[in-house]
Amino acid sequence: MSKSKRIKLNKKQSINGWIFLAPATLMIVMLSFVPMVRALILSFQKGTGAKLSWTGVNNYVRMFSDNVFMQSLLNNFIYLLIQVPIMLILALILAAMLNNKSLKFKGLFRTAIFLPCATSLVSYAIVFRTLFSNNGLVNYFLIKLGILETGYSFLTHTTSARIIIIIALIWRWTGYNMVFYLAGLQNIDYSIYEAARIDGASTVQIFRKITVPLLKPIILLTAIMSTNGTLQLFDESVNLTFGGPANTTITMSHYIYNTSFKYVPKFGYAAAMSYLILVLVAILAFIQMRVGDRRE
Amino acid sequence: MIDVNKKNNNAISYIILTIVSLLSVFPLYWMAVSATNKSVDVTRGTLIPGLAFIDNVKQLFVVQAVGTAMANSFKYAIILTVLSLFICSLAGYGFEIYHDKGKDLVMSIILLSMMVPFVAILIPLFQMISAAHLLNTTAGFILPSISTPLLILLFRQSARSFPRDIIEAARIDGLKDYEIFFRMFIPTQRSTYAAALTITFMAAWNSYLWPTVIMSDEKSLTMPMLISNLIQGYVTDYGVLMVGVLLCTLPTVIIFFVLQKNFAEGITGAIK
Amino acid sequence: MSLAACSTPTTSDTTTKAAAATTAGADETTAATAAAGDNTLTVWCWDPAFNIYAMQEAEKVYQKTNPDFKLNIVETPWADIQTAMTVAATSGDYSTLPDILLCQDNAFQKNVISFPDEYVDLTDSGIAFDQFGAAKVAYSVVDGKNYGVPFDNGAVISCVRTDILEQAGYTVDDLTDITWSRYIEIGKDVLAKTGMPMLSMQAGESDLIMMMMQSAGASLFDAEGNPTIVDNATLKAVLTTYAELVTSGVLVQVNNWDEYIGTLTSGTVAGTINGCWILGSIQTAKDQSGKWAVTNMPKLDNVTGATNYSNNGGSSWAITANCKNVTLAEDFLSKTFAGSVAFYETILPSSGALATYIPAGDSDVYSKPSEFFQGDTIFKKITDYAAKVPKNNTGVYYYEARDAVATALTNIIGGADADTELKAAQDAVVFLMQG
Repeated sequence: MSKSKRIKLNKKQSINGWIFLAPATLMIVMLSFVPMVRALILSFQKGTGAKLSWTGVNNYVRMFSDNVFMQSLLNNFIYLLIQVPIMLILALILAAMLNNKSLKFKGLFRTAIFLPCATSLVSYAIVFRTLFSNNGLVNYFLIKLGILETGYSFLTHTTSARIIIIIALIWRWTGYNMVFYLAGLQNIDYSIYEAARIDGASTVQIFRKITVPLLKPIILLTAIMSTNGTLQLFDESVNLTFGGPANTTITMSHYIYNTSFKYVPKFGYAAAMSYLILVLVAILAFIQMRVGDRRE
Repeated sequence: MIDVNKKNNNAISYIILTIVSLLSVFPLYWMAVSATNKSVDVTRGTLIPGLAFIDNVKQLFVVQAVGTAMANSFKYAIILTVLSLFICSLAGYGFEIYHDKGKDLVMSIILLSMMVPFVAILIPLFQMISAAHLLNTTAGFILPSISTPLLILLFRQSARSFPRDIIEAARIDGLKDYEIFFRMFIPTQRSTYAAALTITFMAAWNSYLWPTVIMSDEKSLTMPMLISNLIQGYVTDYGVLMVGVLLCTLPTVIIFFVLQKNFAEGITGAIK
Repeated sequence: MSLAACSTPTTSDTTTKAAAATTAGADETTAATAAAGDNTLTVWCWDPAFNIYAMQEAEKVYQKTNPDFKLNIVETPWADIQTAMTVAATSGDYSTLPDILLCQDNAFQKNVISFPDEYVDLTDSGIAFDQFGAAKVAYSVVDGKNYGVPFDNGAVISCVRTDILEQAGYTVDDLTDITWSRYIEIGKDVLAKTGMPMLSMQAGESDLIMMMMQSAGASLFDAEGNPTIVDNATLKAVLTTYAELVTSGVLVQVNNWDEYIGTLTSGTVAGTINGCWILGSIQTAKDQSGKWAVTNMPKLDNVTGATNYSNNGGSSWAITANCKNVTLAEDFLSKTFAGSVAFYETILPSSGALATYIPAGDSDVYSKPSEFFQGDTIFKKITDYAAKVPKNNTGVYYYEARDAVATALTNIIGGADADTELKAAQDAVVFLMQG
């Protein structure tokens, strides 16, 4: 286990450090922060299209009496609290399993599990909708096994529709996170595992006491990214459930998109809702970093 | 005793991995099968391969400029990936190896930029790019995505495990900072670069909203736009659609398959 | 866009457009002089088999009198057209827009009122708007001005499988010119005797609701643009009828579009009610040829102004503020889509592209019998239907209202109280209107 001592930085080296990160930082400032400031200004305005007028914090206040937005907020948190932990744990376990010298066919397994996130959104949406349709495969098996009598319309009932989104998200993104963990695991010396085995540690113990702690930096990365991704969820709401039934699966980003492009454009309100998402993600990310971002 | 444990553990691993793999792959099997069937059969829900693959492929090339789309998608994705990896790994290295309170703070602030839905900054960004006369250009396409908090954070977190004593030793040996980065850091981060390459390429390849806003020329057609065109009509040919979707999915999968031996254990020996 | 001289962005163009766009009501399009010898127009539309094909044929027709005319057609999905329009208009930079684009009829009110400078006013362009069905033209009329040249026909038809009906002892005539209560009666009987529902619809979409509303000339907004979701007797009648269709099993709700098409091609329903463009999808099932028939939709019971005709979908061509040669664009549209019966005769057979140009309906091609539909002259029939569609009030906040009503509908079918749901729907629309 290499302890990263703080290297002493003299003046020149400190400047070098800033030079390394300057290009990327400047680009983000120019291409993200500048537009973000414009959007922030927009969030204090109201009006249609380009006909805007100042309205102070009114947008931020009224979003809490917007039933659809509040529903979407709830939906996002349901997905976040259920889907993200399951997905990350699953990805961790799969990555740990695949980090095994004596296992064969690893290449095939890795590729198979990665495939879902490479699938184009259109086809994955059609496939899932078809699978869970009234005459789809899932209903077919459920009827054959005698669990159901007639096809259950999964996507037109709230709870099942939400479950389908969660399943779809887990299916799609587990492989993606697994890739990060696999990469991270390569930075852990394999001899550590062997030493632990010789000491008599079980697989579960190795996983809990060695693998997970050493992967903490990457786990933190995936936790922040997944939180961000889930609170900004868009594709599944738009293409899989269309926000239904009766707005019980719609996400905040989907509603923001509607407010900007499907309905009469209200960019001020859309910007305010977007900033709420930023606040939520920032708070959660901050908590996660406080808890998990340690340099040993 | 260790061997029996190993065998049991491996058996469990094989079972779980196989089940997960089959579940992961099944929808793609459905896609591939649909690509070989006529549209009307696809809507009837068939699971058996048909004989219409060649016809579907031919039809796809008739109704869409597949060559243009593939070429464009590759072009944008490759240029974006190369630039992105370079700039973001430099930054991640800088943030971690030279870390101090100031740099950590800047990192946190940078993270904020990914927390706003893209839709909110779409129009200000468009206005900027338009004012810079970069509409309809490759530069306009890739500029917003070159520097991303995700990649910077990934490289920073991965750099945590890069041993600092090596850097000290190299410095004493007279190596300059950038030489340390190129000659020592990059080779040890093969797996991180492989992961970064895959996800950046994939994101670039699948990007849709920004390209449709900034490119208004049929010569800049990309694969996702092509797919979108296929479902726009009053009548959708699902067989042809699935061929397009397969074509759209394959490049990322191939790249991953080629790169994934970098996720194989035992690369850390390179440091020595 | 690089081929079309009309729309190459240059520095001065951008600033001219930006300045022009912010001047309310300015006739900015005539400020730009047409380049000498400039005879190319850029068009954005979707669907190669239908709209793009029609534009290509229109190009040929116009080239007979203007040999060096050229069209640059860029295939663009509707959602992307809407996004591009919104981005361009909001940022004041129209340079990315084409000369002509295809716009969904339901979106005209929203776009013209939100962005008044975006489309060219066609009222005095010489285009023969009186040659199109009044309801169709009305979609693209804002404040008495025309902004769109009507194109594809969305007239509602009721398609039925005559073989299934026969099993239950009915013919297509039994379903012609009837009321919804009769339709439900027959539907229950068909369901009992054959196990097939008469209809399928996408759950959570208000297509059928809107069709039924328009069939009685009713709307979700009044002429002043106020929402009329609450205290709307017609809407309540519509929702009650729809709920009965679902609970009786005459209408089966499916999850999405692909499933809906699947019910038609797999023959798990006895028919469908939708815009006439559904014919294309039905005819992909070649083995069902000769088993389908076309008739008009049922009308609402006990509602004043109820008819058997309505509309679902359809779009019209609009000329954008970025067009530098408006005269050419207007002339082109006038001589083809708004003037050439020969054009409509050409496009009908291969694409099934039904139009709303009334003179075309009298031509021989439109009177050709369709084998798939048992030799019926469906094109003539549908063109006649289109002329009888009642006008409605789309309203600026059309999409907001549609979604709100769809939500209410889902809840009502699930057992919620209709009045409460309608109030909630109206509140949701009013909320968005206040932004």
